[in-house]
Amino acid sequence: MDIMEFKTIKIGKNNNKLTDSIIKDLKTSKDIGVLKCIQCGMCTSVCPASRHSEYDSREISKRVLEEDESLIYDDIIWNCFYCYTCHSVCPVGNSVSEIIQVLRQKAIINEEFEQIVTFLAFGESLLELGIGSIPIEYYSELIEVIGNDYPEFKNKLDEIREELGLGSLNLPDEDVKDIGNILEKTGFKDRLEKIRAYKKSINSEQ
Amino acid sequence: MKKIPDKDILIFKSCLISGEYPGVESSTKYLFDKLGVEYVVEDRQSCCTGLGYYYDLFDQYSTTALAARNFAIAREIGHKNIATMCSTCYAILKKSCNILNENDKVRNKINQIFKDSKLDNLIYSPGDMDSEGNIFHVAEVLWSKKAEIKDLPMIDLSELKIATHHACHYFKVHYKEDSIGNKRNPLLLDDLANACGTETIGWYDHKKTTCGAGFRQRYANLDLSLSVTADKLMSLKENDVDTLLHMCPNCQMQFDRYQPVIEKNLNTKFNLAHLNIAQFLALAMGADPYKVVGIQTHTVSPDKVLEKIKQASPVAV
Amino acid sequence: MKSSQFSRYAPKSSIDIGVFLCRCGGNISDTVDIEKLKNSIDAKVVKEFENLCSIKCHKTIRDIVLEENLDRVVIAACSPITHKKDFQNQVAPLNPYLLEMANLREQCSWVHSDGDKATDKAIALTNAAVERVKYAQPLETVVRKIKKTAAVIGGGISGITAALSLANQGIKVYIIEEKPTVGGNMIKIGKLFSPEKMVEECALCLFNPLINEALDHKNIDIITSAELMASERRAGNFDLLIEKKPRYVKEDKCIACGKCADVCPVVVPDQWNENLMYRKSIYKPFPQSVPDVYTIDEENCIKCGKCADTCPMNAVDLNMKKEIIPLTVGSIVMATGHKGFDFKHRPEYGHEKYEDVITQMELARIMGVNGPTKGKLLTPSTGKVPDRVVMIQCAGSRDEKPEGKRYCSKVCCMVAMKHANFIKRYYPDTEVIICYTDMRTPGMYENYFRYGQSKGIKLIRGRPGEVIDKDGKLVVRVEDTLRSEQLEIETDLVVLSEAMEPSEGTLKVADKLNVGLNEDLFVKEKHPKIKPVNTDVEGIYVCGTAQGPKDITDSVSQANAAASKVSEIMNGGLEIEPIIAEVDHSKCDMCGKCINACKYKAIYAYDGRVSVDPIACNGCGICVSSCPEGAIEIMGQTDSQIFAMISGMLKDKKDGEKRILAFLDYIGYVAADNIGINRISYPESIRIIRVTSINRLMFKHILYALENGADGIFLGAYPDDMVSSETKEKVREFKAELIKNGIDPDRLMYYNVYAPYFRGLAAKFDEFDKQVDMSLDKYETILSKASSKDI
Repeated sequence: MDIMEFKTIKIGKNNNKLTDSIIKDLKTSKDIGVLKCIQCGMCTSVCPASRHSEYDSREISKRVLEEDESLIYDDIIWNCFYCYTCHSVCPVGNSVSEIIQVLRQKAIINEEFEQIVTFLAFGESLLELGIGSIPIEYYSELIEVIGNDYPEFKNKLDEIREELGLGSLNLPDEDVKDIGNILEKTGFKDRLEKIRAYKKSINSEQ
Repeated sequence: MKKIPDKDILIFKSCLISGEYPGVESSTKYLFDKLGVEYVVEDRQSCCTGLGYYYDLFDQYSTTALAARNFAIAREIGHKNIATMCSTCYAILKKSCNILNENDKVRNKINQIFKDSKLDNLIYSPGDMDSEGNIFHVAEVLWSKKAEIKDLPMIDLSELKIATHHACHYFKVHYKEDSIGNKRNPLLLDDLANACGTETIGWYDHKKTTCGAGFRQRYANLDLSLSVTADKLMSLKENDVDTLLHMCPNCQMQFDRYQPVIEKNLNTKFNLAHLNIAQFLALAMGADPYKVVGIQTHTVSPDKVLEKIKQASPVAV
Repeated sequence: MKSSQFSRYAPKSSIDIGVFLCRCGGNISDTVDIEKLKNSIDAKVVKEFENLCSIKCHKTIRDIVLEENLDRVVIAACSPITHKKDFQNQVAPLNPYLLEMANLREQCSWVHSDGDKATDKAIALTNAAVERVKYAQPLETVVRKIKKTAAVIGGGISGITAALSLANQGIKVYIIEEKPTVGGNMIKIGKLFSPEKMVEECALCLFNPLINEALDHKNIDIITSAELMASERRAGNFDLLIEKKPRYVKEDKCIACGKCADVCPVVVPDQWNENLMYRKSIYKPFPQSVPDVYTIDEENCIKCGKCADTCPMNAVDLNMKKEIIPLTVGSIVMATGHKGFDFKHRPEYGHEKYEDVITQMELARIMGVNGPTKGKLLTPSTGKVPDRVVMIQCAGSRDEKPEGKRYCSKVCCMVAMKHANFIKRYYPDTEVIICYTDMRTPGMYENYFRYGQSKGIKLIRGRPGEVIDKDGKLVVRVEDTLRSEQLEIETDLVVLSEAMEPSEGTLKVADKLNVGLNEDLFVKEKHPKIKPVNTDVEGIYVCGTAQGPKDITDSVSQANAAASKVSEIMNGGLEIEPIIAEVDHSKCDMCGKCINACKYKAIYAYDGRVSVDPIACNGCGICVSSCPEGAIEIMGQTDSQIFAMISGMLKDKKDGEKRILAFLDYIGYVAADNIGINRISYPESIRIIRVTSINRLMFKHILYALENGADGIFLGAYPDDMVSSETKEKVREFKAELIKNGIDPDRLMYYNVYAPYFRGLAAKFDEFDKQVDMSLDKYETILSKASSKDI
């Protein structure tokens, strides 16, 4: 028996740091009802991730209200689909979908890149072309799953677009440069750089 | 009910439509031309960042800054009524517009970036765009033309068994604002299908469930992703649906590209084709399935629809 | 009161005033030099007494008034809050409103210790009262005479209860019911829950005798199939127009034999049975309907005439026309009730799609012995007793999403327990599961909850997201939040504990009567605590679920409370202080601005004249400011009285002396008295003037005070009343006007006063006194700078 294991809510140790930071975050709705959550579980009852994995939307809200910062480093937060179903039904205006967005940003700000490193290509494509693309890391898997018709069509994409009377896929060079400029100043390029460095480091480990 | 414009429209290009289902864009243009909707497509318009945003790669500042840039371009070319073909573009642009209008700190910071980059033409002032008054989904523009659509000659597609998949980011994100119809039972696509003389099955189990793409889930968590898609496909199968109507390329991709995989996994057949609402309407109006609707980029061929079209006008196919 | 009695002009100089000074057993005289005070007063009679409030002195006051033939009296003693009524009674036959008081105790001797300064202030306070009393007018207490007749709108349990209580108190009552029968929602419910007994009581057995009593009561007229079309206020009464829809059956001839219904070929869903069964187009809602006659529903009748041919009494009249009934009543009780939540707004619960998803009201009909299954619990689609019933709580309630109801509907937990208990008693093999978020069974109802638990009712803590049909079985999707488990519960029957929402009748009638609604569209009470059955229109009361979700017990209590409020104004001879608005019709041009401005809905137009309801008016004076013609005065707070009070307070100001006028409303004045009672001191500069509301003041009063020697103006009021936003606006206006007039706005201060927080008020007086000093210093500096420049 270990008396230290007993969970005690100590006086003076409590704050609303995590909750407040989520409420104030730009990614959440202005009037998000995090504090009004009564743990009714309606979110979970309609949540696809909760239906098919260990993830439980209600539990996320509970842990936030308990100021459980370990949530930021918990892999479970990466199971949300961002389908906003919880957001659209919550009787008190809470949004676990938005909470998760903030938690994942916190993970990234803390340089936890493991979960997003494979999506780097989208950002790179946006900087290069001004439009996003399917993450290249998954391309071969995609072909494997979908079949060979897929890369064939992709090869013919320009041709097909022309046949459909559509313009070029890419933005004019000048505009791509502007976008790069803007994204440099918003700090996005820095973020990508860090993720690239992380990618390099895990590649060299392997 | 919000006022939906039929001129000064910028068809907002989407990455996934451009790269996966370009036929949605050509079908949209085909319909707008037929319905007398005045629009442009603009080279300089960039991606909304939506997929990156929901891969968690993009922070809100960067996304909002690029939205401000696209808004400035729309205003500059005199087409500030944005119509998106993708529901994520729709949600992302609305959110960014609201931030730019309401959050002085963010707006000033972004404007400062523009000034520092000598892009003063992009500077955003509060009210330059209105989330409710300037940002729409193409399906909404079409919906506002229901009466006109009804009056056009149509190929009889009434024998199809149709269901609708309303994209989550259209009706769940900004539910308080202005997405059309009952947010708890969206019927926007059903209304449009009815406008060309076809019935839909209406409600079905999982009607409101996500396609299962889940952004990162489709790639990083394929099993989880496909089990959600399978829920929906099974329910559609139970209802003998042969055509599912879409309003978002991400959903369409999830169903169209992965349906054969799920069929293999579950050892079943769904006999279900996937069409964007614009593609469906264009086909019903007699558009060329390949040269306009672009079905050659689909993984699941909409055979039943093609058959009906063939019956109606053997020359067309 | 005639308008000729308006004393807008200076009164005749020969008014004989008597001033009675009280030493208050040293309470006043220990600080204030009474001798000096006495000598500083210009009045016909000035007398001092040791204890003015003693019985002996009362008599003396009256004697002196009579002997000296006084026209006006000033009592310089303690607070008018506690003693004015007493003294007013002592000056008879002089009109009580010809008496003023100067508060020398609570607002002078008890708050100031410097004898000289206190004496100076006492002189000013007494002089101000003398000045003001010159402008006093004799006023009569208003006794509102209203017709001893009331309309009760709505014939449910609340309406019937209110009507019976009124009728028993000798008041003539009209019950106006839009349906062809009275009874409302209660009569549809088979069994009622009871907080005391562990059994369910029969609704009809409880209610039917009351309905019959109402039907037979000589003071009650029941008008069914009738709606309120229009209402107009007139001199405290209401002129109503009631439209009675044609029943197409003569009420006095029909014997309710039912032969007509037998031959009627039109079959329609029976709304009274929640559309769970059918009825004919000519019908009686239920066997015990009151009145006991048949009705043809116009919507569905094909006018084939078969009923008319069959009727042995010749009671059917297919050419019956609607009837307009004019009524004049002295008061109205809104008992317009509620309706169940419309589940088209929550399609995921499947009520619209699946036959076996029903509401609690539908279940009540199913289990009612006069219902579609004669009281048997049968699953609608199969006609079999269900093996399992799942109830979903908070269906539509406690939901902030669009079209949801934010509030708790208050009765659903008990309703669910009642039906669950009932099912368990008669169908012990049927499993009952209640999915809940919180079980709210307050007070005695907790017993009922425990009783249900002991019968084996199962509880799952979670709010279901959806109900679906899976292979012909209903499935409820819910998370068991206590186990963190997503569940799919198979069931034969789903019962939604539907939210209560205001009935359409509630909305329509409120609109016709100009009665205010709250955010959730229930009728808003005048004050949720102390005026729970008053609406914001004087003379109109509310009870039952029209005012908010509640059970029968609460509805009945509220109905009786509403009846007693009506009885008060009809039987009690209500006397009202005449400090109210009066309109000078010779100046009024009927622009209607005052009607819109009045927060108490006390002003209304009738017959081409603007009228004031004396009971509703509380003399706040917003209307006075709103009137472009200057046609309104507040009696007892006329402009001339306010000006007189100001000039009296500022009279004989010495060089270098500072005087601050503090205008306080009733609560502010009480708080100021409390400062005195607690012997807390504040600067002598403060001179308090009581006003009905800060809104009574106009900038001309402020400017007049500042131009005539006031160094600062302090405004204090209770902030949580109905006119508080107007008060704030007024203060902003005053500040802006001060700037326009080149006066430092710091010379005016507003403060929110709460009666128990008198220390705050005292501290504010101190703070303002210093603020005024600084403002005056600033002014001095500017002046000296300006003058040095001139040199």
